[in-house]
Order: sequence, then structure tokens, then C-alpha cells
Amino acid sequence: MNPSEVKERLDAARTIPPAAEDASGRAPDPRGARQAGLHGDLWTAIALFSLTAVLILASRWISPSFGGLAQAKAILVLSSFIAVTAFGQQMVILTGGLDLSIASVMTMGGVLTFGWIGASGPALIWGIPLVLVLTAAIGALNGIGVVLLRVPPFIMTLAMGIIVYGAALGFTGGTPRGQPSPALSALFTGHVLGVPPVILLIAVFAALGTLLQLGTAFGRRLYAVGTNPAAAYIAGLPVRRLTLLAYAISGGSSGLAGILMVGYAGGATLTMGQGYQLPSIAAAVVGGTSILGGSGLYLGAVGGALLLTTFSTIISALGIAEGWRTILYGAVILLALLLLRDELYAWIGRAVTRPILPPDASARRNA
Amino acid sequence: MSATTLPARGSAAASARRLLGNGTLIVAAIYLLLLAVFAARQPGALSDSSVTDLFNNALPLALAAAGGTLVVLTRGFDLSVAGVVALTNVLMATQVGDGAGGALEGLAMVVGVGLVVGAVNGYLVAYVRLQSIASTLATMIVTSGLALLVLDAPGGNVPDFVSYGLTDVVAGGIPVAALIALGVVALWLVLRRTDWGVALYAVGADETAAGLAGIPTRRVKFLAYCLAGVFYGLSGYMLSALTATGNPNAGNAYLLLTFAAIAIGGTSFSGGRGGLVGAMIGAATLTLLQKVLFSAGVSSFYTGIFQGLVMILAVLIAAISERLARGRRA
Repeated sequence: MNPSEVKERLDAARTIPPAAEDASGRAPDPRGARQAGLHGDLWTAIALFSLTAVLILASRWISPSFGGLAQAKAILVLSSFIAVTAFGQQMVILTGGLDLSIASVMTMGGVLTFGWIGASGPALIWGIPLVLVLTAAIGALNGIGVVLLRVPPFIMTLAMGIIVYGAALGFTGGTPRGQPSPALSALFTGHVLGVPPVILLIAVFAALGTLLQLGTAFGRRLYAVGTNPAAAYIAGLPVRRLTLLAYAISGGSSGLAGILMVGYAGGATLTMGQGYQLPSIAAAVVGGTSILGGSGLYLGAVGGALLLTTFSTIISALGIAEGWRTILYGAVILLALLLLRDELYAWIGRAVTRPILPPDASARRNA
Repeated sequence: MSATTLPARGSAAASARRLLGNGTLIVAAIYLLLLAVFAARQPGALSDSSVTDLFNNALPLALAAAGGTLVVLTRGFDLSVAGVVALTNVLMATQVGDGAGGALEGLAMVVGVGLVVGAVNGYLVAYVRLQSIASTLATMIVTSGLALLVLDAPGGNVPDFVSYGLTDVVAGGIPVAALIALGVVALWLVLRRTDWGVALYAVGADETAAGLAGIPTRRVKFLAYCLAGVFYGLSGYMLSALTATGNPNAGNAYLLLTFAAIAIGGTSFSGGRGGLVGAMIGAATLTLLQKVLFSAGVSSFYTGIFQGLVMILAVLIAAISERLARGRRA
């Protein structure tokens, strides 16, 4: 390939994902950056899970009913919605984008589930896949806007969110109608292995999500796209298709969160998704995801979702004014960000791994 | 980026290209188009009182978008706009006395609040190096909480001096809001030519290169967040004048609209390209769009769909014309 051809492909690649200009000042080797980042991501996840456990235990001081297994279960159940939306959000963030349509797509998923599936059992079999496909299609539309029309992700997903919300409003005429689904509710009220089935579902989801990121070609390529889109394009990766797929996944996972929400709440409202837009980003970022793309692990985002849910559960039990609760919530997010920085993991990593590293490896790290 | 930041000199073709690539002019054209539609559908749309209304309704969002643009130019996101607008709004509705003294006291207060929040954001992003979207999310939540502490439900009264004075006309028909907007534009045209203004674009385009060129990148970013905060405070001030009451949730609607206005105004979210004037016209366009849709009799259920489509279209038009400009240069 002659140099002018390379330049042409580089230029073409630069205009594909809007975050392509991030490429400057990044590690030139995506694979190397990925390996270096993985330790940090794992440490983040471990730190978040431990912190959540400690917080739940410590919350016994706030209320005697807290700190037990029942509260841990309740937090796991509540965190499932943020955890599911954070998966799609993180996949999109990995590509260097951002999904601001999550709240509306989640609402749409919930409204459709409530209206179409209702109390019917057999309807679940076609209804759930249909809702998932539809919401994934909305996500794919986001992806088309971003990769083909080259609309900035921020504005594409924001506009899509407004459009989908308008559609949900029009579809329901302002009041969602339908019936609660006993089967979906059973996810939250039933018992399998001593816990509500939704907890097992989320555990499997978290495992599969992390596996998709680390163990499949699709996942590894997504990191490459986010780290350096131009390099990924030159390496022959289908950058557009990968990016589009990430947005479709985000739409589908928002739809899934909407379906779960109908099971939890026994109904749907037009505001049901509202509280999940920013938490989906916060969970991913607290979980160690770089908003610039190319780094982050779903396990960390699940940890972020758990920690945020634990915070809000404990804070709302404090019996203080809403203003103080809000301030406290913001303050702990800030504190988590300040504490869970890469520098901290680098320091822990050095302390733990120093003796076993060969001399040349440590020399390279210090360079 | 050279198309908008470094004016090319030369032939008429070159200046035509420059116009095509200029997001501000494109959004201005979209605005005028919408205004024409509005005038055609609504008798009296261009009467004095209707024009004053247009300025009054657009200014709070325009000020917020102006502030947000400064941060977006550095390739950051500032979500704290929602919190600062809410906090300054409830402060204006509860803590300020009437008369010129009260208005000045209020002005000092909103500027102070904006500056403090902006400084916290700037410190966290520029010096502690936290991700902008995450740290401003935290400050947004904290300031929203403070707003709830000041006023836990919609209510309160903004002094008449502010609410009448700022929404009125002076000198035989010039809206005060238009004068304020002009003042901000003038301020920006001066700021853009200062060392800081030039550095703002450089940092957004390529922070590493800017740093190597000797630009104090951290201070440039810090100041961008501080000034952005001040603009959010002023936005809350103007919003208070407009609504004449306090609402601790007043900022929520601003969060996404601010970014929409910035994008429509031709500012790139990958930094270093765009400008404040475009964002302000973008804000006016979004405000006008709501009026046009209402006058066109679009069911309020579906207003959102049109709004979303227009946002995407505006960005597409800007991108296509920019591509045309770039294509012809190559």
C-alpha cells in the first residue's frame, strides 16, 4: 500500500467515528494499552465490590434492619436496572461515543411490554424478543446516524431520545395502558437458590457481558476501535459495523431494563426511564470506564451500579431532607471518583506485583 | 478546523467556502427560515411585543449554551449547568430584596455561585484530571441538592425590579434581552482574540501539542470552566426574571437543551472548533422551533419527534456544508 493510500484511509477513518480525533496523544499500540489497562479495570471492579460489601455491613449502624442478607438482596435487585443499562452505555462509550437515548428507549421498552405482553404467558415468548429487537433497532438507528451520517453521538442519541419519548407519548396517548405480567413479576418475587431469580439473571448477564468484552473477537475489536479508530481501520477492522453494533446493543439493553422494570413495578409510566440516564453513565465511569473510549470493563460498571445503588439506599434511609440527601449523593460520587483513580491502582499494582516482574518489564513501565 | 478558526484571505471563492464552513452562519440561516415560517403562519409574529418575547424566551438558554460552549471547545462536557441554573433561580426567588440594590446584590450572588461551581469543576478537571462528564455530574447533583435546601418546592417571588426590568424594552423598543445578548457577543469577540481565547481553541484541538507549544493548558481549561459557571449563573438570573418565580427543578430542562443548542450552533464535540455566537443562535432556534410547532398545530404528543428530527437535520446541514467547503479546498 503506497503512502498516499494510507493517508487516504487514515483521513477516511478520521471522519467515521466523531471521536476519531482522540487518536492523537494516545498509546500507539492498542493491544499494549489494553493489557496495561486491564489490571486497573480488574482492580476497580474488585475495589467496588469490596466497598459495596463493607458499606452494606457498616450500614447496620444506621438502622438495625440494615446490614443483613435481606438488604444485600434488595440492593442487588435494585441495582439490576442500572447494571443492565450500564452495559449498553459502556459498549457505546468503549467506541468513543455516548448514548443519551437510554432513558427514552427504556421507557419505550417498558411501555411496549406493558401494553403488548400484559398478563398473558404465551405472549412472553414472542413479546420479549420483539421488544428487544425493536429497542435494538432504535439503537441501530443511533448507530446509523453516527457512522453513516456522521452526526456526533451526543446529538444523535439526544435527538433520538427526544424522538422516542415523543413516540412513546403518542403511542400511549399520555397514559400507558396494559396489564402487569405475573411471569415478569415472578423474577422479583420468586425464589431460586434462596434469592429472587433476577439476581441470578444479572449475575449471568454480568458474566456474559464481561466475556463478550474480553473473550470474543467482537469485544477485543471494540477496544481497538475506541483506542484508536484510525489504526483499527487500517488494521482492517470493520469500524462502522462494530460501532453500529455497539449502539444496537445499547438499545437492546435499555429495552431489557424496561422489561425488567415492568416486572419490578408491575406497570409502566412515561417517566420510568428518567432516573437511569445519568446513573448509566455514572456507573460506567465510576467503574473505571474512560469517557474517551477504549478502556473499561463491564465487571467494573456492575460494581459501579452496585456502589451507586448502595449509596442511594443508605442515604435515603438517613431520614434527612431531600436536599441533603442529594448533596450527599453527589459528594460520594465525587469521593468515589477521587479515590478510584488509576494512580491508586497503579500504586496497588506496583506494591503487589513488583517482586515478580522481570527487570526489563519494570524498566519499560517506568519509561 | 482552519475553516472557522483561521480566516482564510483571498478570492471570493475562498470567502464563499469560508461561509459554507461557518456553523454560525448556517444556524443563523436556519433560524431565519424558521422565523419566516413562523411569520407566515402567525399574524403579528413580527410585532414589537412578539419579537421582545422571542428574545426574552431565548436568552436564558442562550446564556447557558454560551457557557457550555467554552467547555466544549476544550473538549469537555459540563453537566453542572442544570445545578447552577436551579440554584441561582431559587436564590433569586428567595434571597433577594427589591429595587436596584437587590438586583445588583442578586447579580453579584449568581456570578459568585457560578464562579465557585465553575472553579470547583475547573480544578477537578484541569488539575486533578478527573473526567469532565463525571466530575461535573457530581457538582451538578450537589448544586441541585443545595437548590432543594434553599427552596424545596416551586414557589417564591423574584423581585419586580428584576422580572420587569430585564424583560422590558428600552430606548423606544429595543428589548433589554437583545442588549444583553449583544453584550455577550461583544465580550466574546474580544475574548476570542485574547491569548486565552486563542489558547482555548488550541487546547481543544490538540492538548498535547498546545502544551508543547508553551500554552498553560491547565490554566486555560480552569478559566474556561470558571467563565462557563458565570454564564450559567447569568442564565439562572435571566430565567428568574422571565418566570418571576423559583423552581428547584428549573435546571433539568436545561441540561440536554444546552448541549443541543451547542451542537446546532456548529461547535464540534471533539473540541477546538465552533463558537459562542452559533450556540446562542442555536438556543434561539430551539426556542423558536417550539413556537413554530405550536403555531403549526402539531399535537403536543408529537412535538418531541419534530424537535429531534430538526436537531439531527441542523447538524447534518452544518456537516454537509462544511464537507462541501472542505471538498472544494482539496
